[in-house]
Amino acid sequence: MSTRLRVDWPSCRGRGLCSEVLPELISLDEWGYPVVHDDVPPELLGLAREAARTCPTLALRLVTR
Amino acid sequence: MSAAVLVRPAGDGGGPVVAVRPGAHVLRDVPAGPSLAAHRRRTPPPPKLPLADLVARVREVDVRGRGGAGFPFATKLEAAAGAGRRREVVVNLSEGEPVSFKDAALALTRPHLVLDGAVLVARALGSRVVHVVLPGDRPGVAAAVRRAVDERGREDRRTRWRVHRAADRFVAGQAHAVVELMSGRPNLPVTAWQPVALHGYRGRPTLLSNAETFAHVALLAGAGAVAYAGAGTDEEPGTRLLTLDGDGERPTVTEVPHGTPWEDLLTDDALDGPVLVGGYHGTWAAPGALRGLTVSRTAMAAAGLSLGAGVVLPLSPGDCPVHRTAAIVAYLAGQSARRCGPCRHGLPALADAVRATDRGLDVSARAGELAGLVTGRGACAHPDGTARTVTSMLAAYGDEVAAHAGGECGYRRSSLVARSVGRGR
Repeated sequence: MSTRLRVDWPSCRGRGLCSEVLPELISLDEWGYPVVHDDVPPELLGLAREAARTCPTLALRLVTR
Repeated sequence: MSAAVLVRPAGDGGGPVVAVRPGAHVLRDVPAGPSLAAHRRRTPPPPKLPLADLVARVREVDVRGRGGAGFPFATKLEAAAGAGRRREVVVNLSEGEPVSFKDAALALTRPHLVLDGAVLVARALGSRVVHVVLPGDRPGVAAAVRRAVDERGREDRRTRWRVHRAADRFVAGQAHAVVELMSGRPNLPVTAWQPVALHGYRGRPTLLSNAETFAHVALLAGAGAVAYAGAGTDEEPGTRLLTLDGDGERPTVTEVPHGTPWEDLLTDDALDGPVLVGGYHGTWAAPGALRGLTVSRTAMAAAGLSLGAGVVLPLSPGDCPVHRTAAIVAYLAGQSARRCGPCRHGLPALADAVRATDRGLDVSARAGELAGLVTGRGACAHPDGTARTVTSMLAAYGDEVAAHAGGECGYRRSSLVARSVGRGR
């Protein structure tokens, strides 16, 4: 089972806080919207949860499949 | 091949005049007209098939969704059946793709075959309500479907029909956008946390499929099922509808068995020129690439092409695939719902890059980069489809892109520099 970060794109306003919390997995495109690079490895789960909590529009979710 | 019949939406509203070639199965009996009485002379009312039987028949001929994505219908049916007790059935006739006319043709010629398929599925799923989504920009087609739905009321009092009218927008027919429309919200895509088959209208399992898909399902349960399943190839039984577009020509909707060679469908000139396959979210075939290929999902996929919703658009001599892609991407950028950042910003930037490439600037690498950047980053697949058209153009017409960067267009046989100077004055 892998954990992924998914963006609710219509909610995302490109504030970029997620990338500040989790630069290991999230960079920003030229307009400031997140680019998620990879699934979340176990050691980054805590930070990934924090990134999701930090989003002002709650546009980031952890999805396990 | 049979001669095409011109089909004109009757009464108010007007709409497209479509040329339809009568076919062997879905487009059989086209000259008899679209009325329920004419339909019932050849086709009895849909039987009540147990779900397991319907799934088995659909799986046997591997019916795929005909809205573009090609998802196996049996899988969708089983997902909806397993997800909850109260299920919804939705017939999607919205056809937001402006160069596709196959669903319009079905609505104008065989609406009751589509509705039979929907009733069959609804009865197998134990649903009494069937939702029908009409196109927003083709009032004559919408009126034809409304008439057909009204006729059903006299024959079958058991099924209740709910008619919805989609917005006049490319992305209006996307599954989640349709559920939004049905729920009374703006007809725009939203983030899909689950497929609508599991969690759709009012949170219920929702069996939503393209109109053509239901027509094929109806054929599988009817009197001609054996003949229908015998059409096509062993690997891909059955037929599919194509819209054969041509610049300056009336679009022609035709039914072809899977496995039909493209040489049977297109002229030599068309085969040896650029052909956009699958519509505005489609893929460009390089000149001659369709020769030796057949109308087949797997054969096309092996060649890097996709039939999508069945649009085939050969360019006229003198029209340039780079130039045409620029126009298509500009249109698609304007069709963005503007809700998702990467689409709202990325598609206009992509349109600019392709237009600049067409006008002779050496920025095709930027176009390719933007296409990669927008892919997979939206609530719906609009950015993905737009990027696919651009990426396939860059791959199939790299030489032409290089010619443009050198200031020449090989298709229009003109110098781009002279034109842009002339325009500047």
